[in-house]
Amino acid sequence: MTRQTPTQTGISGIPKDNPMIPAQQRIRRIAFTATILGLLGAGAALAHGADAGVQVEVVGEPSWSLSPVYHILVAHFPVALWMAAYLFILIRSLSDSQFAVRLQKAIWPLAALGTLAGFVTYGLGLTIYPWSAITESPLGRNHIMLATWTLSYWTVMSVLGYRFRRHLFDGAQRWITLVLATIGAMVITITGTLGGSLGGTPSLVTKSLSWIGWDVYMTYYLPTWMLVAYGAGALLLIAIGIVGSRRV
Amino acid sequence: MQTKYLAGSAALFAGLLVLGWITHGTGIVRDDPERNIVIPDELLTELQVKAAYDGENIYFRYRWPVERPSIFNDVLVYQDGNWEERGGEVLGPDPDFLVEDRVAMMIDDGSVPMFSRYGGYITIGDGLTTFTGVPETDEERTKYLPSTRTDPNDFDSVKPQSDLETLRAAGQFLDLWQWRSSRSNPIALGDDGFVAEERGGDEGTGPYATNWDDALNQPKFMFDPAKVSGGALNIDDVTSGKVGFNDVYYLSNETAVPFDPDRQWKNGDTIPRRMLQAETGSRADVAMPSAARWRNGFWDVTLVRAMDTGNPLEDKIFRDGGNYDLAFSVFRNASTMRWHYVSLPVSLGLEQPAQMVAERFEGDTPDWTQPWTEITMYYPGQVTWGRLTDARQHPGADRIAQRVPVASRHSEEQLALYGVQMEFADEIRRQWLWTLFVSLGLIAGLGINVNLLMRRREEKAQ
Repeated sequence: MTRQTPTQTGISGIPKDNPMIPAQQRIRRIAFTATILGLLGAGAALAHGADAGVQVEVVGEPSWSLSPVYHILVAHFPVALWMAAYLFILIRSLSDSQFAVRLQKAIWPLAALGTLAGFVTYGLGLTIYPWSAITESPLGRNHIMLATWTLSYWTVMSVLGYRFRRHLFDGAQRWITLVLATIGAMVITITGTLGGSLGGTPSLVTKSLSWIGWDVYMTYYLPTWMLVAYGAGALLLIAIGIVGSRRV
Repeated sequence: MQTKYLAGSAALFAGLLVLGWITHGTGIVRDDPERNIVIPDELLTELQVKAAYDGENIYFRYRWPVERPSIFNDVLVYQDGNWEERGGEVLGPDPDFLVEDRVAMMIDDGSVPMFSRYGGYITIGDGLTTFTGVPETDEERTKYLPSTRTDPNDFDSVKPQSDLETLRAAGQFLDLWQWRSSRSNPIALGDDGFVAEERGGDEGTGPYATNWDDALNQPKFMFDPAKVSGGALNIDDVTSGKVGFNDVYYLSNETAVPFDPDRQWKNGDTIPRRMLQAETGSRADVAMPSAARWRNGFWDVTLVRAMDTGNPLEDKIFRDGGNYDLAFSVFRNASTMRWHYVSLPVSLGLEQPAQMVAERFEGDTPDWTQPWTEITMYYPGQVTWGRLTDARQHPGADRIAQRVPVASRHSEEQLALYGVQMEFADEIRRQWLWTLFVSLGLIAGLGINVNLLMRRREEKAQ
């Protein structure tokens, strides 16, 4: 008869020294975490909507809106998780040490949790102002634009992390991973600083963006020919992916 | 091989991002005279102001940069037997410099709700003259106070006269001082007006009259030939700036004589369309110690008025120790109507703490030793009070309802950029949505690409 010691099992009974947690178990945990985050956000919204917010009559005031504070509060979670993931990618890209390899194992869970928290944050953000109003504001448009980029980009990074794990850092692939993650870190930073500006607290990052060609009080939009280039670029990327995957 | 595809894809993606960064914001904002849209080259400028008082009179001194002073406004030009009107009102800057420079100041003593927090924005109702989409009307649709309308966003919903009188008695009007480089400055006059149910002049006559005889279809006055050769200036000399301060360039009792239709007028002869005159009544309250001169790239203008004019229904009365709210506008580069630069509201204290402190002085005139108050002026674009207070159009509408001052949320630069974008609101919003969708597609394309090209070491080994 064998007996498992407390140090050998986790709370779910899965041996701790088994690195391969079943996929279903992972999905369950992720769903659980997402549900908790969602409930927290919804609870905060309901609690706030009861007796707070704008009490003064305004023309066209929405029947229900959510104070920005909850969006701001929750936004720190994806930012922290994604930036931690980026830090680990940076360390792992530059080092093969034991420490770096250990950090590597946390990358995809961090990215994935960040993405889940990101969806909650994005949803909360959309409840603050009427869509017609926030899309009339250049700063509001820019924040939505960057938030959409950040969320979609880190969704891609999460999928990559989940599918390729340690192979993200195989050979020269690690540099591709690092470049992609660096772009991801940049869009998070810009999204955050735009949120700060929207809340009335512009940072040095906001000002520095104008030094490199973008005044954040001007709506970020592309000329039509550039939209065409982006569309063509998207198709070209897919084509390169298909061709490249067949040739390897 | 696969790494090269990956690197190429990353380079393509990054390259498109960089190209997007370089080209963003182009292709939409441009002059469109058909829609009354002309964007000034400069969105910001500066105004320096000082104030002083002696218990009887209060002085305001203004100084602002103007590259080329404009000392003419509308003129009459002789062409093939007819006198044609030129200048005065044009969209944006007039290349002929036939639009005068101006400075204006709105004053409140705390009686007008929200003026101290939002300044001139509260006076911009919907459907004002020169706004995009507003049809031209015989009568100018000027700024007004929201409280003077049954529907603040409907220009035509003016309250009954009895209500307007009640509001006026309660102090719900803005005092409006103006100085004009062509139509008041040459004879050292200001212009005293108000903003209430309309922007108008106080009771009395203003500093100029129209120099045109409708019945005879000719000017009423011309230059005294003894002072201006031929009785008229030449249009080329006027538009080129050759005629300056040291020349006789304005019509007044001292420089004009009745028009002589029998003179041998020649093409290009030019006479001002305005005859300057002494003001009367309450409208004459705002005066100048002396005519202003443009020097070294700046207008330097001083206006003076009795602190208590005795006209409390038309003027805000200044009292020693009092606090007031001001909002300024300057017109430069030969621009008029809404092509001006405005300020956020500025607090004024008469020897009281405020953004701008008026100093008490003894003697005949202020010594002006106090420092200038530097005020950032900006192009306001087309932003109406109705839009700002509508939560469907302005995310900050609830802040306005809470009386949060505009300066706590927006800088002048920000407001200028917003003002310009508001003139292209629909186009920019549409292009932004397209950018959002297409860039999302690009990120999706990248995701598919990388997922297809990334390899696990075991796969490579196979």
